[in-house]
Amino acid sequence: MKRNIFYIIGCAAVLLFSSCEKDNYDAPASTLTGRVVYQDQPLGVRSDGVQLELWQSGYSLFTKIPVYVAQDGTFSASLFDGNYKLTRLRGNGPWADNTDTINIQVKGGTTVDVPVDPYFVIRNDNVQRSGNAINATFNIQRVNTTKDLEYVRLYVGQTMITDQVRNEGSATKMPADIADMSQPVTLSVNVPGSMASKEAVYARIGIKTVGVAELLYSQPVKINLK
Amino acid sequence: MKNIIKYSIACALTLSMSACKKDWLDRQSQTLLVNEQVMNDPKLIVGLLANFYDRLPTDASLTSRWQQHTSYDDAVWSGGGNAGDEERNNIVQYATDRWRIYDYALIRDINLAIENMNAVGNRLTADQKLQFEAEFRFLRAYNYFEMVKRMGGVPIITTQLLIDDKGDVAGLRKPRNKEAEVYDFIASEIDAIKDVIGNTGSPTRANKYTALALKSRAMLYAGSLAKYNNQLPSPITLPGGEVGIPANRAADYYQKSLDASKEIINSGRYSLYNGNPNLGENFFEAITKKVGNPEVIFAQDFLQTKGRNHAFSYDNIARSIREDNLGSSAIAPTLNLVETYDFLNGDAGTLRNRTADNSDYIYYDNISDIFANKDARLYGTVIYPGTSFKGSPVQIQAGVMVWNAATNSYQTVEGNLGSIYGPPTFPNGDGGLLTGASGPQRSAQDVSNTGFYLRKYVDPAPQSSNRGRQSDMWWVRFRLGEIYLNAAEAAFELGNTPEALTYVNTLRKRAGFPDNSLTTLSIDKLISERRAELAFEDHRLWDLIRTRKATEVWNGSTTSTTANLYALYPYRIVRPGDAARHNKYVFVKLVAPRFRTPRFFQIQNYYMSIPQNAIDANPLIVRNPFH
Repeated sequence: MKRNIFYIIGCAAVLLFSSCEKDNYDAPASTLTGRVVYQDQPLGVRSDGVQLELWQSGYSLFTKIPVYVAQDGTFSASLFDGNYKLTRLRGNGPWADNTDTINIQVKGGTTVDVPVDPYFVIRNDNVQRSGNAINATFNIQRVNTTKDLEYVRLYVGQTMITDQVRNEGSATKMPADIADMSQPVTLSVNVPGSMASKEAVYARIGIKTVGVAELLYSQPVKINLK
Repeated sequence: MKNIIKYSIACALTLSMSACKKDWLDRQSQTLLVNEQVMNDPKLIVGLLANFYDRLPTDASLTSRWQQHTSYDDAVWSGGGNAGDEERNNIVQYATDRWRIYDYALIRDINLAIENMNAVGNRLTADQKLQFEAEFRFLRAYNYFEMVKRMGGVPIITTQLLIDDKGDVAGLRKPRNKEAEVYDFIASEIDAIKDVIGNTGSPTRANKYTALALKSRAMLYAGSLAKYNNQLPSPITLPGGEVGIPANRAADYYQKSLDASKEIINSGRYSLYNGNPNLGENFFEAITKKVGNPEVIFAQDFLQTKGRNHAFSYDNIARSIREDNLGSSAIAPTLNLVETYDFLNGDAGTLRNRTADNSDYIYYDNISDIFANKDARLYGTVIYPGTSFKGSPVQIQAGVMVWNAATNSYQTVEGNLGSIYGPPTFPNGDGGLLTGASGPQRSAQDVSNTGFYLRKYVDPAPQSSNRGRQSDMWWVRFRLGEIYLNAAEAAFELGNTPEALTYVNTLRKRAGFPDNSLTTLSIDKLISERRAELAFEDHRLWDLIRTRKATEVWNGSTTSTTANLYALYPYRIVRPGDAARHNKYVFVKLVAPRFRTPRFFQIQNYYMSIPQNAIDANPLIVRNPFH
């Protein structure tokens, strides 16, 4: 009789634990990482602004997995192994629409480069401080010519994440003030009073294309104030 | 004998069975009404209508999604944070489905009601059928307007869609109509029904003027979309016209809007409310007075005696006069809104808190003096320092500023609600008021964060902010004030500025301005007049969307004065040696402390995304731009 009870308890224990195991999925273990590139160079964007879409067919819930691109043009997502389709959301990034799908097989760590066709890119950017002013010199290269330049702007912020939304000060140049786009463009902004006591600030150049919400940015540059 | 018993049992069984059989499957349900019953009884049809009226969508009303009032720039969220509403002060960017409506369930219910009534409603008179059908069609047009302003062109479905007997669904797939076609559909539906819809004089069921009010608003939206979308450097369009109205349609739409507005104004059935000689109270009553209000055209009503109530007043009454132990203060109007109201002498509404050279504060004798001679609509919309509600003063004071002669500067002291600047906490205090019983406080919940409270739509009835009793304040969907502004804008866009000025100046005169207070107009001035007159009536978002100004005003920049939301904190000066300043009041403008992220409206927010399941089910549906 006593034995029976032990058996029963043992069975119950086995049942209890095994049932737990059965209906728990493992968290997605594979990672998809990648960069948004033009000519093998990652493009700077606004953190949390630009989105790529991942789709997976074959399941009843067919809805996108949004993948946000970080400010330096990289992205990553934790996924289950399987076949995915990566699309570039139209009108979202500072590049021309391209509705071609990129097929991706995710198995363990997978890396993919997403080529895009930007309207403008920033070349030879150089940002330096002189006294209280931050001066930037850069070239604008026009890549896709279907849309025009709206403005270029130099941003000063307190962190790496400096952009149109998060900044402490900026200076703007309109296309009318740029006589020759093949020549280097210069922009200058004073360090804002609120930042004067900091150790360092970050500066970043942004290019706005007409009719596109997001700007394309250079990589942020740390400027030591002390 | 045995046989007889057998036979009789058999007979009895047969009888009992057969008797039952006859009406067993043919009984009337005690709990369900079938089409023939509903569609032949005018009272039941009115019940059905009530259901549809109740389902008319809004972005923010008093009941559904009322918290959305704090998602734009007229208010910050100052209530409790448990329900996730604190998110409204920290919207990094608007999601592309935030105000999406794609409600074909409601459209189908209305189509079904029209078809069923015409099929089985034999006992209704022809007039009754005509009138009910007109009312159903008004409700359908209203819903299409709510969809098109969010989604762009949507499929216009006016009949129920039935699957064929082979199970082929291809016939059910309808493509999106053009954006202009949906607005044209709304106009033609209203033209068809306005003379048969009946309900004359009802402020809660649609009548001719309700239909015209919808047309006035919808045509104004269509006109401004045609004009302002095409003024964008890169207009938002789809190749099939599902989004984007050609610029050459603008004048036609503006003219239709103006005609509809004038028909309402000239009908003589409605007039601006002028029942109270106190102009501020008068404006409050113009929206909130439910009996004998000549201004309200269409409202969603509530009724205390029937238990049809809502908790809007509980959530939004000023803190110190709340009648419950929790809640209050959720919608705290911003300084941005308060400064929209001009001074009566015509000066822009910016409040003067610093001297012209910005060297010192301006010292006011009374806490309400800074608001003196403002547009009376400010009083009717917002509770500001020095005013009362329900007969009780709402004490608003952030703290005191104590002069420190040693450092030659003020030291700011803030305390608990209703606290005194004196012993024991402040041994050197003067015993006067420290912080008002209604705050504002920088980080507390359920107390204003901006220094202002909402007046418009908060119920003045006793105990109405108590959860047990609640409020039966109505939600105004259309009123004559809006029609005047619609007419003004349409006339202005058609080039008739003198006519437009007449309409705007009529409204401004009611708010205390002298005759002809405006002599020039611009679209920006008209939008700010709409903001002043129609605050918290679900207009601000749509006005900025249809004129394509939202990306400019809410540009997400940390340095923008329109994307950030501001507060006004009043302080009492403690400076006993200086009679010109001691016990006077100064005001500090600051970004509302609980407000974290500037409003950021992006180009993809002008149209909401079509739901993915609609695209999955119907390959003919094209996505909106940027989605």
